[in-house]
Amino acid sequence: MGPASRVEGTLLCRAGAHRIAFAAHEVAFIASAERESTARTWSARRAFREAASESRGRVLVAPSGESVGVDALELDADTHSVLPPPHVTATLSGGSLRGFILVRGALWPLLGLADFEHYLRGLDAEAT
Amino acid sequence: MALPEPESRQSYLVFACGSSWYAVPAESAAEVVTFPELTRVPGAPAHLLGVFAHRSEVIPVVDMSLLVGGVSAGSRRAVLVRLSRGTLALTASTVAGVSSVAGVLEPLGPSGVHVHLRGPGKSGARDVAVIDIEGLFDHLSQGG
Repeated sequence: MGPASRVEGTLLCRAGAHRIAFAAHEVAFIASAERESTARTWSARRAFREAASESRGRVLVAPSGESVGVDALELDADTHSVLPPPHVTATLSGGSLRGFILVRGALWPLLGLADFEHYLRGLDAEAT
Repeated sequence: MALPEPESRQSYLVFACGSSWYAVPAESAAEVVTFPELTRVPGAPAHLLGVFAHRSEVIPVVDMSLLVGGVSAGSRRAVLVRLSRGTLALTASTVAGVSSVAGVLEPLGPSGVHVHLRGPGKSGARDVAVIDIEGLFDHLSQGG
Protein backbone atom coordinates (compact mmCIF):
# COMPACT_ATOMS: atom_id res chain seq x y z
CA MET A 1 0.00 0.00 0.00
CA GLY A 2 1.41 3.35 -1.03
CA PRO A 3 1.59 6.43 1.13
CA ALA A 4 -1.62 8.31 1.68
CA SER A 5 -2.11 11.58 -0.19
CA ARG A 6 -4.11 14.45 1.26
CA VAL A 7 -7.13 16.45 0.20
CA GLU A 8 -8.01 19.91 1.48
CA GLY A 9 -11.67 20.82 1.29
CA THR A 10 -14.26 18.22 0.38
CA LEU A 11 -17.94 18.02 -0.39
CA LEU A 12 -19.47 15.28 1.73
CA CYS A 13 -22.53 14.02 -0.08
CA ARG A 14 -25.41 11.63 0.42
CA ALA A 15 -26.75 9.43 -2.32
CA GLY A 16 -29.69 7.69 -0.72
CA ALA A 17 -28.29 6.10 2.41
CA HIS A 18 -24.78 6.07 1.02
CA ARG A 19 -21.82 8.39 1.46
CA ILE A 20 -19.63 9.80 -1.29
CA ALA A 21 -17.20 12.72 -1.35
CA PHE A 22 -15.60 14.96 -3.93
CA ALA A 23 -12.60 17.24 -3.68
CA ALA A 24 -13.91 20.80 -3.55
CA HIS A 25 -11.49 21.97 -6.23
CA GLU A 26 -13.15 19.58 -8.71
CA VAL A 27 -16.51 21.34 -8.30
CA ALA A 28 -17.02 24.55 -10.27
CA PHE A 29 -20.41 25.30 -8.77
CA ILE A 30 -23.37 23.78 -7.01
CA ALA A 31 -26.89 24.16 -8.36
CA SER A 32 -30.28 23.12 -7.15
CA ALA A 33 -31.74 20.10 -8.88
CA GLU A 34 -34.64 22.23 -10.09
CA ARG A 35 -32.36 24.73 -11.79
CA GLU A 36 -30.49 21.97 -13.57
CA SER A 37 -33.61 20.08 -14.55
CA THR A 38 -33.43 21.13 -18.18
CA ALA A 39 -30.07 19.49 -18.62
CA ARG A 40 -29.46 15.78 -18.14
CA THR A 41 -28.07 15.24 -14.67
CA TRP A 42 -26.87 11.87 -13.55
CA SER A 43 -27.94 10.82 -10.07
CA ALA A 44 -25.21 9.37 -7.87
CA ARG A 45 -27.80 6.94 -6.54
CA ARG A 46 -27.47 4.94 -9.73
CA ALA A 47 -24.01 3.81 -8.66
CA PHE A 48 -25.76 2.04 -5.79
CA ARG A 49 -28.51 0.58 -7.99
CA GLU A 50 -31.08 2.97 -6.60
CA ALA A 51 -33.58 5.06 -8.50
CA ALA A 52 -33.04 8.81 -8.57
CA SER A 53 -34.75 10.66 -5.75
CA GLU A 54 -37.93 12.61 -6.36
CA SER A 55 -36.92 15.06 -3.65
CA ARG A 56 -34.96 18.23 -4.34
CA GLY A 57 -31.27 17.67 -4.17
CA ARG A 58 -28.15 19.39 -5.34
CA VAL A 59 -26.16 19.13 -8.53
CA LEU A 60 -22.38 19.30 -8.54
CA VAL A 61 -20.98 20.69 -11.75
CA ALA A 62 -17.38 20.13 -12.78
CA PRO A 63 -15.32 22.83 -14.52
CA SER A 64 -15.54 20.75 -17.70
CA GLY A 65 -19.34 20.67 -17.47
CA GLU A 66 -20.06 17.19 -16.11
CA SER A 67 -22.81 17.16 -13.49
CA VAL A 68 -23.81 14.69 -10.79
CA GLY A 69 -26.90 14.87 -8.62
CA VAL A 70 -26.80 14.09 -4.91
CA ASP A 71 -29.48 14.14 -2.23
CA ALA A 72 -27.64 16.28 0.28
CA LEU A 73 -24.20 17.73 0.85
CA GLU A 74 -22.07 19.61 3.28
CA LEU A 75 -18.77 21.37 2.84
CA ASP A 76 -15.90 20.13 4.97
CA ALA A 77 -12.96 22.55 5.02
CA ASP A 78 -10.61 20.21 6.88
CA THR A 79 -7.63 18.45 5.34
CA HIS A 80 -7.89 14.68 5.25
CA SER A 81 -5.53 11.87 4.39
CA VAL A 82 -6.69 9.88 1.41
CA LEU A 83 -6.45 6.18 2.14
CA PRO A 84 -5.62 4.19 -1.00
CA PRO A 85 -8.50 2.13 -2.36
CA PRO A 86 -8.21 -1.66 -2.09
CA HIS A 87 -6.96 -3.30 -5.25
CA VAL A 88 -10.26 -5.09 -5.83
CA THR A 89 -12.16 -1.79 -5.94
CA ALA A 90 -9.83 -0.06 -8.40
CA THR A 91 -11.95 -0.67 -11.48
CA LEU A 92 -15.33 -0.07 -9.86
CA SER A 93 -17.27 3.07 -10.81
CA GLY A 94 -15.23 3.44 -13.96
CA GLY A 95 -11.98 4.06 -12.15
CA SER A 96 -13.34 7.25 -10.57
CA LEU A 97 -12.56 6.08 -7.04
CA ARG A 98 -9.56 8.05 -5.77
CA GLY A 99 -9.52 6.53 -2.31
CA PHE A 100 -11.26 6.97 1.00
CA ILE A 101 -11.27 9.66 3.63
CA LEU A 102 -12.09 9.10 7.27
CA VAL A 103 -14.46 11.77 8.56
CA ARG A 104 -16.16 11.60 11.95
CA GLY A 105 -15.30 7.93 12.26
CA ALA A 106 -16.80 6.90 8.91
CA LEU A 107 -15.17 6.13 5.59
CA TRP A 108 -16.25 8.20 2.60
CA PRO A 109 -15.40 7.10 -0.96
CA LEU A 110 -13.58 10.03 -2.60
CA LEU A 111 -14.53 10.22 -6.28
CA GLY A 112 -13.32 12.19 -9.25
CA LEU A 113 -16.38 14.20 -10.30
CA ALA A 114 -15.91 14.16 -14.07
CA ASP A 115 -14.92 10.48 -14.16
CA PHE A 116 -17.83 9.57 -11.92
CA GLU A 117 -20.25 11.36 -14.24
CA HIS A 118 -18.81 9.45 -17.18
CA TYR A 119 -19.34 6.22 -15.26
CA LEU A 120 -22.96 7.12 -14.48
CA ARG A 121 -23.57 8.06 -18.08
CA GLY A 122 -22.17 4.68 -19.10
CA LEU A 123 -24.67 2.95 -16.82
CA ASP A 124 -27.44 4.74 -18.65
CA ALA A 125 -26.06 3.59 -21.99
CA GLU A 126 -25.87 0.01 -20.72
CA ALA A 127 -29.48 0.13 -19.62
CA THR A 128 -30.77 1.25 -23.01
CA MET B 1 -4.95 -27.84 -12.57
CA ALA B 2 -5.32 -30.12 -9.56
CA LEU B 3 -3.33 -29.33 -6.47
CA PRO B 4 -0.77 -32.13 -6.18
CA GLU B 5 -1.26 -33.83 -2.87
CA PRO B 6 -4.30 -35.98 -2.16
CA GLU B 7 -3.73 -35.56 1.58
CA SER B 8 -2.40 -32.08 2.03
CA ARG B 9 0.01 -31.45 4.87
CA GLN B 10 -0.71 -27.78 4.58
CA SER B 11 -2.70 -26.20 7.36
CA TYR B 12 -5.88 -24.34 6.54
CA LEU B 13 -8.22 -22.10 8.42
CA VAL B 14 -11.64 -23.70 7.98
CA PHE B 15 -14.75 -21.58 8.21
CA ALA B 16 -18.39 -21.58 7.18
CA CYS B 17 -20.32 -18.98 5.31
CA GLY B 18 -23.97 -19.95 5.37
CA SER B 19 -24.25 -23.68 4.81
CA SER B 20 -20.97 -24.05 2.93
CA TRP B 21 -17.52 -24.62 4.37
CA TYR B 22 -14.37 -23.06 3.01
CA ALA B 23 -10.67 -23.28 3.76
CA VAL B 24 -7.86 -20.81 3.21
CA PRO B 25 -4.14 -21.48 3.75
CA ALA B 26 -3.45 -20.78 7.40
CA GLU B 27 -0.43 -18.63 6.59
CA SER B 28 -2.70 -16.27 4.61
CA ALA B 29 -5.31 -15.97 7.32
CA ALA B 30 -4.30 -13.00 9.43
CA GLU B 31 -7.13 -12.81 11.93
CA VAL B 32 -10.85 -13.11 12.48
CA VAL B 33 -12.64 -9.83 13.08
CA THR B 34 -16.09 -8.50 13.79
CA PHE B 35 -16.41 -5.68 11.32
CA PRO B 36 -18.22 -2.39 11.96
CA GLU B 37 -20.81 -0.68 9.78
CA LEU B 38 -19.56 -0.87 6.23
CA THR B 39 -19.22 1.84 3.61
CA ARG B 40 -20.67 0.81 0.28
CA VAL B 41 -18.43 1.40 -2.71
CA PRO B 42 -20.09 2.99 -5.76
CA GLY B 43 -20.42 0.47 -8.55
CA ALA B 44 -19.64 -2.50 -6.35
CA PRO B 45 -21.30 -5.84 -7.10
CA ALA B 46 -23.65 -7.22 -4.44
CA HIS B 47 -21.12 -9.68 -3.04
CA LEU B 48 -18.74 -6.82 -2.22
CA LEU B 49 -20.61 -5.68 0.87
CA GLY B 50 -18.47 -2.63 1.50
CA VAL B 51 -15.26 -1.55 3.15
CA PHE B 52 -14.08 -0.72 6.63
CA ALA B 53 -10.95 0.82 8.08
CA HIS B 54 -8.69 -1.50 10.03
CA ARG B 55 -5.27 -0.38 11.23
CA SER B 56 -5.11 2.43 8.66
CA GLU B 57 -5.99 0.09 5.81
CA VAL B 58 -9.25 0.05 3.86
CA ILE B 59 -10.43 -3.54 3.72
CA PRO B 60 -13.09 -4.85 1.34
CA VAL B 61 -15.62 -7.35 2.71
CA VAL B 62 -16.72 -10.16 0.41
CA ASP B 63 -19.78 -12.26 1.20
CA MET B 64 -18.78 -15.73 0.05
CA SER B 65 -22.41 -16.92 -0.07
CA LEU B 66 -23.41 -14.14 -2.44
CA LEU B 67 -20.25 -14.62 -4.46
CA VAL B 68 -21.14 -18.22 -5.26
CA GLY B 69 -24.72 -17.30 -6.11
CA GLY B 70 -26.39 -18.05 -2.79
CA VAL B 71 -28.16 -15.99 -0.15
CA SER B 72 -26.23 -13.72 2.16
CA ALA B 73 -25.36 -15.29 5.48
CA GLY B 74 -25.69 -11.88 7.11
CA SER B 75 -22.62 -12.39 9.25
CA ARG B 76 -20.71 -9.50 10.84
CA ARG B 77 -17.60 -11.64 11.28
CA ALA B 78 -14.92 -12.14 8.69
CA VAL B 79 -11.62 -13.90 8.10
CA LEU B 80 -8.95 -11.42 7.05
CA VAL B 81 -6.81 -12.89 4.30
CA ARG B 82 -3.59 -11.06 3.66
CA LEU B 83 -1.77 -11.10 0.33
CA SER B 84 1.06 -9.00 -0.97
CA ARG B 85 -1.51 -7.04 -3.02
CA GLY B 86 -3.75 -6.27 -0.08
CA THR B 87 -6.18 -7.72 2.40
CA LEU B 88 -9.58 -9.29 1.84
CA ALA B 89 -12.23 -9.92 4.46
CA LEU B 90 -14.29 -13.04 3.75
CA THR B 91 -17.50 -13.26 5.74
CA ALA B 92 -17.67 -16.19 8.13
CA SER B 93 -20.68 -17.36 10.12
CA THR B 94 -18.61 -20.01 11.94
CA VAL B 95 -14.87 -20.49 12.28
CA ALA B 96 -13.88 -24.10 12.93
CA GLY B 97 -10.14 -23.49 13.38
CA VAL B 98 -6.94 -24.68 11.74
CA SER B 99 -6.76 -28.18 10.30
CA SER B 100 -5.60 -30.16 7.31
CA VAL B 101 -7.73 -30.79 4.25
CA ALA B 102 -7.80 -34.15 2.47
CA GLY B 103 -8.78 -34.80 -1.09
CA VAL B 104 -7.79 -34.20 -4.71
CA LEU B 105 -8.41 -30.51 -4.95
CA GLU B 106 -9.58 -29.60 -8.40
CA PRO B 107 -11.54 -26.56 -9.58
CA LEU B 108 -15.20 -26.91 -8.69
CA GLY B 109 -16.34 -25.36 -11.94
CA PRO B 110 -15.17 -24.41 -15.42
CA SER B 111 -15.70 -20.69 -15.12
CA GLY B 112 -16.41 -17.80 -12.81
CA VAL B 113 -15.54 -17.89 -9.16
CA HIS B 114 -15.81 -21.69 -9.04
CA VAL B 115 -12.51 -21.93 -10.93
CA HIS B 116 -10.91 -20.57 -7.78
CA LEU B 117 -12.64 -22.99 -5.41
CA ARG B 118 -10.90 -26.35 -5.15
CA GLY B 119 -12.37 -29.62 -3.99
CA PRO B 120 -13.88 -31.90 -3.05
CA GLY B 121 -11.98 -31.60 0.18
CA LYS B 122 -12.58 -33.06 3.61
CA SER B 123 -11.74 -31.50 6.93
CA GLY B 124 -12.84 -34.03 9.46
CA ALA B 125 -16.42 -34.83 8.55
CA ARG B 126 -16.94 -31.55 6.73
CA ASP B 127 -17.00 -31.07 2.99
CA VAL B 128 -14.88 -27.99 2.31
CA ALA B 129 -13.87 -25.96 -0.71
CA VAL B 130 -10.31 -24.68 -0.61
CA ILE B 131 -10.14 -21.10 -1.82
CA ASP B 132 -7.34 -20.27 -4.26
CA ILE B 133 -6.73 -16.88 -2.71
CA GLU B 134 -4.60 -15.41 -5.49
CA GLY B 135 -7.11 -16.54 -8.09
CA LEU B 136 -10.01 -15.17 -6.08
CA PHE B 137 -8.19 -11.86 -5.73
CA ASP B 138 -7.71 -11.70 -9.51
CA HIS B 139 -11.36 -12.60 -10.06
CA LEU B 140 -12.56 -9.86 -7.74
CA SER B 141 -10.14 -7.34 -9.20
CA GLN B 142 -11.65 -7.94 -12.62
CA GLY B 143 -15.07 -7.04 -11.25
CA GLY B 144 -16.17 -10.64 -10.79
